[in-house]
Amino acid sequence: MKNVDMQMHVRGTSQFVDDLAAPAGCLHAALVTSRVARGRIRSLDLAEVLAAPGVVAVYTHRDVPGLNEVGHVLRDQPLLAVDQVEYIGQPLALVVAESHQAAWQAAALGRADIEELPAVLDPREALAQGMIHGQKRILVSGDPDAAFQTCRHVVQGRLASGPQEHFYFETQRALAVPTEHDTIKVHASTQSPGAFHRHLAEVLGLPMHKVELDIRRLGGAFGGKESTAVWVVAPALAAFLLKRPVKLVLPRNHDIATSGKRHPYEYDYRIGLDEEGQILAYEVDLYQHAGACADISLAVLGRSFLHASGAYRIPNIRVRAVSCRTNIPPNNAFRGFGVPQGTFAIEAAVTHAAEVLGVPAAQLKRKNLAGDGDVLPFGMVLENTNSGRCWETLDARVDLAARHAAVAEYNRTHTDSKRGLAVVPVCFGISFAQTALNQAGALVNIFVDGSVEVSTGAVEMGQGVNTKIQLVAARTLGIAPDRVRVHTTNTSRVPNASPTSASTGADLNGMATKYACEDLLTRLRRFAGQHLGHDDPEQITIREGVVHLAGKPTELRWEKLVAAAQWARVDLSSHAFYATPNLHLDPKTERGRPFAYYSCGTSLTEVWLDCVRGTYRLESVEVVHDVGRSLSEVIDRGQVAGGVMQGIGWSTVEQLRYAPDGRVLTGANAYKIPDLKSLAPHFAVTLLENSQNPNAVCNSKAVGEPPLIHGLGAWFAILDALRSVRRDKDLPSLPLTPEKVFMYLHG
Amino acid sequence: MTSFVLNSRVVQTDQPPGTVLLDFIRLSSGLTGTKEACREGECGACTVLLGCPGSQGLVYRAVASCLLPLGDVQGCHVVTVEGLSEGPLTLVQEMILEHSASQCGFCTPGIVMSLTGFCLASTDFSFQEALDALDGNLCRCTGYVAIRDAARALCERLEGVESDRAVRVATLVELGVLPEGFLEAPSLVGQLQTPEAATTPEGGPPVLVAGGTDLFVQRPEQLREARLEFLSRRRDLDFIRLEDGVLRVGGAVTLESFRLSEVVGRVFPTLRDDLLLHSSTILRNRATLTGNLVNASPVGDVTIMLLALDATLEICTPEGQDRRVRLSEFYRGYKQFDLAPGELITEIRIPQPAPGTRFNFEKVSNREILDIAAVSTAMRLVLAPDGTIEDLRLSAGGVAPVPLFVTGLEPFRGRKPEGETVGLLARHVVEAVSPISDIRGSATYKKLLLGQLVRAHFSAEVLS
Ligand SMILES: Cc1cc2nc3c(=O)[nH]c(=O)nc-3n(C[C@H](O)[C@H](O)[C@H](O)COP(=O)(O)OP(=O)(O)OC[C@H]3O[C@@H](n4cnc5c(N)ncnc54)[C@H](O)[C@@H]3O)c2cc1C
Ligand code: FES
Ligand code: FES
Repeated sequence: MKNVDMQMHVRGTSQFVDDLAAPAGCLHAALVTSRVARGRIRSLDLAEVLAAPGVVAVYTHRDVPGLNEVGHVLRDQPLLAVDQVEYIGQPLALVVAESHQAAWQAAALGRADIEELPAVLDPREALAQGMIHGQKRILVSGDPDAAFQTCRHVVQGRLASGPQEHFYFETQRALAVPTEHDTIKVHASTQSPGAFHRHLAEVLGLPMHKVELDIRRLGGAFGGKESTAVWVVAPALAAFLLKRPVKLVLPRNHDIATSGKRHPYEYDYRIGLDEEGQILAYEVDLYQHAGACADISLAVLGRSFLHASGAYRIPNIRVRAVSCRTNIPPNNAFRGFGVPQGTFAIEAAVTHAAEVLGVPAAQLKRKNLAGDGDVLPFGMVLENTNSGRCWETLDARVDLAARHAAVAEYNRTHTDSKRGLAVVPVCFGISFAQTALNQAGALVNIFVDGSVEVSTGAVEMGQGVNTKIQLVAARTLGIAPDRVRVHTTNTSRVPNASPTSASTGADLNGMATKYACEDLLTRLRRFAGQHLGHDDPEQITIREGVVHLAGKPTELRWEKLVAAAQWARVDLSSHAFYATPNLHLDPKTERGRPFAYYSCGTSLTEVWLDCVRGTYRLESVEVVHDVGRSLSEVIDRGQVAGGVMQGIGWSTVEQLRYAPDGRVLTGANAYKIPDLKSLAPHFAVTLLENSQNPNAVCNSKAVGEPPLIHGLGAWFAILDALRSVRRDKDLPSLPLTPEKVFMYLHG
Repeated sequence: MTSFVLNSRVVQTDQPPGTVLLDFIRLSSGLTGTKEACREGECGACTVLLGCPGSQGLVYRAVASCLLPLGDVQGCHVVTVEGLSEGPLTLVQEMILEHSASQCGFCTPGIVMSLTGFCLASTDFSFQEALDALDGNLCRCTGYVAIRDAARALCERLEGVESDRAVRVATLVELGVLPEGFLEAPSLVGQLQTPEAATTPEGGPPVLVAGGTDLFVQRPEQLREARLEFLSRRRDLDFIRLEDGVLRVGGAVTLESFRLSEVVGRVFPTLRDDLLLHSSTILRNRATLTGNLVNASPVGDVTIMLLALDATLEICTPEGQDRRVRLSEFYRGYKQFDLAPGELITEIRIPQPAPGTRFNFEKVSNREILDIAAVSTAMRLVLAPDGTIEDLRLSAGGVAPVPLFVTGLEPFRGRKPEGETVGLLARHVVEAVSPISDIRGSATYKKLLLGQLVRAHFSAEVLS
């Protein structure tokens, strides 16, 4: 089944926050932000802002009725700066005006007298100065020191990967409407209903039951709308103080300049192998460039840390990870949530090792590929991974040996151009690594006409979670999907919801929906039994909207059953709850089972390199990925393709430049996401056949994030082509932009 | 007062002509299907169709509404996604749905409009043209695989369909690509009061707006209330003809009509593809050659091409006098050029090259399409019968404060453009430049890259 919203998307009738008819008297909010990366605020001069045309009010931290705090995990992020600034773009004051334009024009007139302090923009420098968030984490498994002693080959190096801007099409925004009894309703573009609900209540100084957060759909999010609540809380604050509706829509370049990104990382790696190419030991230091506030960085770091061994079996390992506090806007979640970075380092290390051993990287990868029964560094035993089967399926489709030979032959006979390929296996743990977040609620209402309405904590952002939930409900109840409608995500219907992220949206909320539907079904079957004069509800089933008795259809249709049940005073509403079982991770020993299961896949990426100009083209991308028994193949294929392309963008052309003072220099005109013409002429997605997954709803597997890792194939394929030209240089950093490729070749 | 037809409704408005159409559509008309995701022409979410009266009825083009001044749609038919959605799904909408080419949906209306624009403007309904038509529509969710499939399926459905422009709208209505309402549009447009030029506030010399794709990125707030003169209204500036060995291009010709012009194709066969490297369809449908020249960006694509092609500008002074300047003498310093306020470029004159002339354009940007060059260069080369250089012109973009015309190439005449000579030539060019490090690349990169691109001018592909 296709994403049900598409019917509206193609007509332009689907509503996003800024498409809701503005309530009468709606005002517009904007932010005055810091132009200094680090310093002490001596004073703010907002006179000109206040005098600007159309301005209604200007607020500073003094006007916050509740807590001036939006720190997502640690309490380290003021909504409006108090006496110091930590990054360029940090909000200093809130401006409210008659129009969007007037608000932002006025905001630009804000002046701050700030005593500048030296800004720290380099993660290693920050670490040297002791500027870190939280604690360093260390994970040791086996005896890496002893193992390195026995290795035939030891390869080491330094690496870096860059930031990635989410570039969700719909920028950050919210509309807040004051309602009766001093309550407030907020329509927002956020992935985090529960957490943002709490942020709103805290800042406004209200109990949570006076704040209602409603989320219809998001124009993309990719993690960027999970943790940073500034742009949702700010208009609510203005609306609350002025008792008028207030909207905030972040202009694109403000969004790029002041919102969080995928974390850049630096890495030091060392890998040791035996004669046969078996990995014996691996050691990696992860330096996360986190920005000024902790935001969600420690959770991201935790995931890089837990995925440091990538898709490989590594008996002896040492991982050290630290989140470096630097004076740039706080970085946050981005599809993959640290796993792409952790994977990048091990993939580079293995590739580097293959070079030294003189064998194709794919050969080493296959040899060391982790599979069922292997134990991960934190003690979890892999099961039901299908990792080997994904690899074999890919090989059967493309014939890896033949592809290698073709590339080698091309490169032997060409000098002005080269080709390169890379095989990337993916092994991605599913669940929030923070065990507490693995919970979800669902409210299912059946109305007397037989139509069904489902509310969950899941947020629809194009990934099709609502469609999947609709399917789960219809399937469980035994009725047609069009009898079910998934309602907005609303904190009054499903409270305290976890964010829709970590690829768990459908897993968790689908399961809660299933439970609620099963509960209703139990009541209806019992009632149907009585109604049909049959006292064994076990004999009753509902299929395609018809009540069946002992497997045979009866006269009783769903609509009639429901109406009769309601008249007989059967409760047709159910709320259910799901908490993923058996998850745990001991923070002291770093041992446990933090993930419910693994999502695996393998891909082949091939590129063509123009050595004269330093440019490249993707020729072919072949992905095999395991999505279990797919709830919707078209949706899952779309998730795979979209994720891979974002990974390709991160690996190739997406780059953000900072000025020496910490200012983001790259705006919409220079931040380049992949376009249609950069899509490889051949791009095929194969969903692994005959896969089961007892650990998630209806045997499916999560699909949101894992495929993004395949996009790393672009970086490694370009590298492969580059290394066929010369190897006398260190590995370049990620992304491999045309400039870096050119400089590698000609610099 | 600006009057135009918006979907199937006549609209009259007093809003300033410098208001961008996107704001009028979303804020004043309450049509929220058209999305805003950048306001800089970079994303395509705001794409609408603009139907302008032409000799064969209304001529429709997909354009970015975020850079289109309201005053410039005077007398036109503007179509938003709502205008395609009055009845059953159109064929384009159906194809997107069938192939699941939409996820979050924020880019989707723009994609619907661009593909519909393709159906209206395409010469042959080829898949390649459909892809070209989408070059200004980004999508962050789908990874484009499904969008490409939808475009392919659309072309398959259009295979063999009568492609005569004169009956295009009727044909597309019949095929379900356009709703029937389109048939009424000419008569609605006919009823509009169409002043020669849209009225704009009085006082001072007007700002000349050609495509507006540069102006409305640079200073939209200021232009909102400014006095504007829309050059697209000047029929006398919209011509392309070959006369006495000169290709004469009017001062308001858009890049896309230039690119697709039959005459241009005959005189400069490679430009059709070269110009695909300039911005995107939704911008080229508005952006002009003159706008690119006056923009005076050191890396303007058209500027770099026209420098090598030895173009001359015909300029009309406010007093009505005509004067001519060779483009190679037009630029004087960063964004400084030989054009006084109130002067209008009426024509670009490009000499028709001698038979056998080679022209080559090289551009390297971070993303190949819809990106500003890090470095670009163009070359016009005439070889003598013995294969030696008879005449050579070279330009270079992104490496100097001005679009650079490379001088001092005379010593290379009489030499064969191969081996050491090409190396010397590249060195000569590179020594003439002084790039700076910026978001497009480091100075070292640009210098080295220019050397490579000059070498590429003399590759076997170009010389064969
Ligand atoms: C997203 C995007 C991508 C772009 N990509 C490219 C690219 O790839 N390559 C590139 O070179 N450029 C690019 N540009 C820049 C711009 O689109 C081009 O320079 C374009 O050719 C400008 O033409 P225009 O008609 O829109 O100019 P306008 O904005 O209308 O005008 C520009 C200037 O020229 C003046 N002017 C225009 N016509 C005349 C005339 N006849 N006489 C006197 N003065 C005149 C105007 O008064 C104004 O000062 C891009 C712009 C955007 C927004
Ligand atoms: S809003 Fe992005 S092109 Fe107009
Ligand atoms: S579907 Fe989300 S941007 Fe295209």
